[in-house]
Parts: sequence; structure tokens; C-alpha cells
Amino acid sequence: MRKNIRMIKKHSKWKQWFLELKLKQKVRYLFLLIISIYLIVFFILYSVIIKKNMLNYTLENNWNTMISISNNLNAELNTISHMSQLIMNNKDVISYLKNTEKQELRYAHNAVSVIHDITNVFNNISSVFIFKNDKTYINVSNGITKVNEDIMLQSGWYKEIKDRSGGYVIRINGGGLFTTLQGKPVITLLRVINDLETQKPIGMIAINVSTYMLEQTYKDVNNKYFCYYDNKSNLLSSKVAIEELQNVQFGKEQFNQKTIGNNAILSYYRIPNTPFIITAYEKLSFGKVMSEETGKILFIVTFITILSLIFISLFISRYITTPIERLVQSMDSVKTGWLRRLSLSLPNDEIGDLKDSYNEMLVEINSLINKLLEKEKVIQKAELEVLQEQMKPHFLYNTLETIEYLALTGSKESVYDALHTLGNFYRKFLSKGSKEISIATEISIVKDYLKLQKLRYGDIFEDIYEVEKELLEIYIPKLILQPLVENSLYHGIRLKGEKGIIKISVYSKEDYIYIEVYDNGIGMSEEKLEKIIHEEDHKSFGIKGTMERIKYYYNQEDVFKISSKEGEYTKIYIKIPWNRGI
Amino acid sequence: MYRVMIIDDEKMLRNLLKITIKWDALGFQVVGEAASGIEAINIMDEIKPDIVFVDIRMPFMDGIEFSRFAIRQYPRLKIVILTAHDDFEYARQCVGIGVCEYLLKPIDRVAINEILIKLKKQLDEESPEDTEIEIDIEENSVIRKIKKYLINHYADPELNLTSVAMKFGFNASYLSRIFKERTGTSFVDFLNGCRMERAISLAKEDKYMYQIAKKVGIPDPNYFGKCFKKYTGKTYSDFIKK
Repeated sequence: MRKNIRMIKKHSKWKQWFLELKLKQKVRYLFLLIISIYLIVFFILYSVIIKKNMLNYTLENNWNTMISISNNLNAELNTISHMSQLIMNNKDVISYLKNTEKQELRYAHNAVSVIHDITNVFNNISSVFIFKNDKTYINVSNGITKVNEDIMLQSGWYKEIKDRSGGYVIRINGGGLFTTLQGKPVITLLRVINDLETQKPIGMIAINVSTYMLEQTYKDVNNKYFCYYDNKSNLLSSKVAIEELQNVQFGKEQFNQKTIGNNAILSYYRIPNTPFIITAYEKLSFGKVMSEETGKILFIVTFITILSLIFISLFISRYITTPIERLVQSMDSVKTGWLRRLSLSLPNDEIGDLKDSYNEMLVEINSLINKLLEKEKVIQKAELEVLQEQMKPHFLYNTLETIEYLALTGSKESVYDALHTLGNFYRKFLSKGSKEISIATEISIVKDYLKLQKLRYGDIFEDIYEVEKELLEIYIPKLILQPLVENSLYHGIRLKGEKGIIKISVYSKEDYIYIEVYDNGIGMSEEKLEKIIHEEDHKSFGIKGTMERIKYYYNQEDVFKISSKEGEYTKIYIKIPWNRGI
Repeated sequence: MYRVMIIDDEKMLRNLLKITIKWDALGFQVVGEAASGIEAINIMDEIKPDIVFVDIRMPFMDGIEFSRFAIRQYPRLKIVILTAHDDFEYARQCVGIGVCEYLLKPIDRVAINEILIKLKKQLDEESPEDTEIEIDIEENSVIRKIKKYLINHYADPELNLTSVAMKFGFNASYLSRIFKERTGTSFVDFLNGCRMERAISLAKEDKYMYQIAKKVGIPDPNYFGKCFKKYTGKTYSDFIKK
């Protein structure tokens, strides 16, 4: 599990690495990969096919060679068979075999000297044994050969020789009959000797030939290593000492080949009627597999492939990645804050289209930004106007002077109360510079404001608040209520000369919040109403600015309504959208 | 002792000015105050101030308008305009119309003292007020004319003793005196009576106080309310309810 995870991690790391590369690098790495895979696959395919062909070729080639070697061997064997016939047909030998009692030693001596004479003519003869039926024997040997007579008593060992009834059998070390002192194997030709008259067996001849005979069968064939094995896969002769050749297991087929080691091939052929397996050992090398011509073709194909890949890479680089890079560089200038149109000359393809689209987008963005800036300007100007109106020293100084008077004449509590209210008012009024405040804060600003105004002008009005509780925490653009209240006080109540009412209501209806200021002051004529709305009356307290602000804030035209009856009342409400979900 | 009048729509500011300046020590005496220019016009002839401190920002008639009027009618009057910094440019116009001084709010006592000392010097140097000039005219017919004029023109808010005296070529105090002698009521009471009677008759038509006030020549409903109560013994709203 852990390993898996690690592998996945590793995998994703590679993926991450690749994804983070530049397009150009990606293309490069991709091409490198493609070229490598291409070459690898090409070589594998090529070498597999070639190897197969090559194997078939060597198989055929070796078949012929090995047949001819086996022919050589058969010829040699025939020669030895011929020699055996010379010996077994010799009178002295037959006499030795037929004699059973007297002068045995003399017959034996004669036979041995005959055999000696005959064998001298032939090469490679290691020893010759003539057995009587009673297992006594005479022999002629080069070197010492031990005889294991007991094996002759085994029926299996003798049966084949007997069945041939005069024909020869080839066995290595006589099928266990002989052991040379040096341990080197000998090739034994065994055949029964029959009485010429009765055609009954009177003995057996065994001729041991040194393995050198085997080597002679392939000494004329160059450029390959040949060796002989017996049918138990023991190595009999070899031109060279190669370790791999020591322990080889052969199949039952008469002719086949097998690979040994990493890059060697061994063809083998079981020579009929003999216990020998002739083998041909060949090393495979790439040079052998691939001819010069195929090498050339391979090189040319590879070269062309790489060339075309490089060409495609260059093409992609020139017509795709480089233009994109240039485009990106130009677009980067946006980071510095400059939204300039790009004036690059790019190809008239998709990348050109991209540039055009980008430019169009920039135009759009620029105009949006301009609109936004314009809007922001209007809002800020309006906000500033309200602030200036209130930050005008007039209100502050007059209030302060009122407090000064209180301090000189009134109670300490009233001074404390007035200062506290004034402080609260300005703190909330400035509201840490934030643009939006809660309705609750807005209301409390107005409460403080009206409290201070009452201090200045006496008990000329009563302020009433009707606010739906759930709206208290809704945020609205700051200071949109105070100008309305100020307007009510100065343009409504104070001019009436009688005690009035200022009522502030906040309520929701459908998807809007209504912030309403009602006063029962002198009201307004239609003309005055128009003037106030269009800010022609310089004495109005930023009502138009406030409305502009709200319009921009909520992107909505219909934000307020003023209704009034001269002498009776003025009612202004602000209508702002309420997104309950947010 | 020179006579000082304070005109400001905020009572506490008037009071503050009264109690923070040592008027006596400087040779002055606060003899009257008004909450608006309109009120001031109506009571100035009784108070006869030498110096007026007037706030520039007031409803119905602002400090500038009042000063224009006052300088026209009382050429010897010293006017000190009280102005907040943000109205300074507006206040500059006062110099053009002959206002003596302007003072920045919040009021700096040292500055006021300096101004008062300066004004006292000026007042001391000026020749004392012209003595009453006895004009030998057919007084009865003139008084009748004046009464008729008042009945026709009481709706003019700038109408007062001095303006009428000027119109008819009298010295204001002389007119005041002979008006009382010949009619039995003071000039001010007569004018006020005209206005209030008209107001009473208008009130029956269920008009708003501020509108009536404007119609009878007292566009400051607060001062109108004061006058109305003084005349009828009832507040306007009580009067209407009846």
C-alpha cells in the first residue's frame, strides 16, 4: 500500500514537473521522448527480425556442414571397420580363437603380432582387443587400458553386439568395458567374430580409437567451433575450451539449435548409428546480425526521422510557442497596471485571433475601468460632500459653544452628556473610514445628531424611530440618513416656528429596504421639490449627492422618492435592494 | 456705556457671549438680543443699540441681509459679524457694505475685547447723536398718513419706526414720541396691532402659522409666535383650536 502511494506520489511528481514546464520545453521533451522510443522500437524490431533470419540461415548453413562432418566421421569409422575385418579374417587370429587347449601362448603371440602389423597402418588406433568366448583376450595397446570384464556378463551390454551378427557397434569406452589410464575417453568399435564355416560366434573384437579421430573430421572447417558430445551429453572433443560448452543438455531431435550463454548459439546433430552428437558453436554479434547495408539504411531512416522531428519542433517553436511567448510578454505589461493594446505583428492564425480578442477584451476592460473610476469618483465626491458638510466647523463650533455655555451655567451632567454625545457622533460618523455601516449605527448617528441639535435649538421637535429589528444589522452606504434628517430639521421643522416631529422608519417591503424620514414641517412646493432634487438650492444638504451615491452603489435608478404637502409634511424615502441570501 | 445687541438664532450662543465678556469693564452693556434678523428689525428702535453682534447664518434673514438693511437705516450703527471659517468668503461681502468688523467663531474673547476697545474709541470720537429737530408741520395729517401707510404696508418685513421716519423725513425718536402723543399707542404697538389683527383674521381661514407670519410681515414664525401670544394671550396653536 505504502509503496503504491509512494509510486503515485512519484508519478504525480513527474506529472507536476511536466505540467510546470514551458510549452517550448514540453515540446522539446516530448520530441526527445518520441525520438528515443522510435529508435528503441526500431532497433528492437529490426534486431528481432534480423536475428530470426540469421538463425534460420545459420541453421541451414550448419546443417550442411555438420552432415559433411558426420560423413567424414562415417568414413573414418568405415576405415576402422575395414581394419577390424582385416584382423578378424586373419588366419592367425582365427586360429587363436579356435584353439582351446595346446600351444595357446604361441597362437596368441602370432595373433598379436598380426594385429600389431595391421594397426600400424592406421592412425589414431589406441588399442585392439580380441576376446574369446570365455572372456580371455589378447590385446595390442598404445598405453595402458584397463578391461572391466564383468560388464560383458550383462546381457544388455552384449545383446546389441550379438544382434548385429557381425556388424559393428560404436560405443564410448566400449560401453564401460574400458578405462584409459589418462581418463581420456576412447571410441570403441565392437563386433562379433563369427566362424567362417559354422557362422557361429567364436569371439569379439574391440578397437579403441582416440578422440583425436573426431577432431580430424572437422579440422578443415574454419570460422566455427565444432565439438563432439556423446549421447549422454559429455563433451568428447573441442577445439577451444569454452566453459559454457561443458554442461549442455540436448533435446531429442536429431537436428536443432539452442542458445547458450547470452549471445551464443549451439547447433547440434545426432549422427545416426553412432553415439555422437556433433555441435557447432557460434557467437552472435550485432555486426554479424546487421550487414553494412542495412546499417546504412537504418542510419538514413533514423537521420531523416530526427531531422523531420527537429523540423516540426522548429515549426512549432517558430509559429506557435514563440508568438505565444511574445504575446505573453506583451500581456505581462498589464501587471504594471497599464492596459495597453498590443501592437505586435503576429501570424494571421489562431494566435493572431487570440491577440485580437485580447485587444478587444482590453478595450472592454478599459472602458469598464473608466466606468468604475467614474462611478467611484462620483461616490467619493458625494461622500466627501456629506463629510464636508458635517465636518464644517460650523456645526462643531456651534455645538462646542453650546457646551461651553452649559459648562458655565448648566449642570456637570449635562456637559458630560453633551460631550459624550458629540464624541460618539463623530466617532461613528467617521466610522474608521469604512464605506458601509450597519443601519443600527446609522440610526445611532442620527440620534446623537438630533440630540446635539436639540441642545442648540431647544425642544423644537420630537424624534421618533420605527425600525424593524431584523434590519438593524444590514449594512448600507454610510451617511445616507443623516443628510435627510438634517434637511428635515433645517428645511422643515425650524422654519415652521412650532414644535414638530421627525420620524425615522426603516422597514422592508418585497425585496427592498425602505429608509424613510418624515417631518411635519413646512413642506415643499412643487418648485422647491424640483430644486432640491436637482440640487439647485445651494442650501440643501447634499440630498442630490446622497441619491447619486445610492444610485451608483446599487446600480439602480429608482432609489428614492420625495413627497410633500406645503405646510404639512415632507416625506423622503430611500429604497435599496435587499439581498436576504447574502 | 454703549449699548450692545446680540442677534443669533441659538439662544445659548447669545447667552455665552453675554456671560463670557466683561462688558461693564469695557464700557458696554448688553441691552437686547434677537433670535433672528426679523426680530431685530422689529425691536431695534426700542433697544437703540450702538453695536450689533450678528451671526451670519440665520434662517429667514441672514446676517448679511440684516446688515444691508441696518446700515441703510442706522448709519451710525457698528456691526460685528460673527462667522464660522467656512463662511469667511461670504462674510467678506460685509466689508463692502460697511460692516465694521467680522469675528471668527468660535469666539475668541481676546479678539472681542480688542474689537470692543477699538469700537469704543470710534464711538467716543464720533459726535453725539443729533438732537431732536422740531419740524413744524401739520402733525395730525402726517400721523394719519403714517397710520394709513402702516395699514397698507405692514406686510413689509423691513418696516419699522426708523424706516417709516426716514420715509416721512422725521427723526425716529421724534416720530416715536409724537406718534405716542397723538395716537395714544406707541408706533411699535400700532404696527404690531395691524399685523396681529390681520393674523387673527387669517387664522380663521385655518392657515399655517409660518404662512400667516410671512403674510403679515413677520416671516420669522418664532418671533411671530411671540408677538401673537403677547397680543392675544394665547399661543397660535391654542388660538386655532378654539
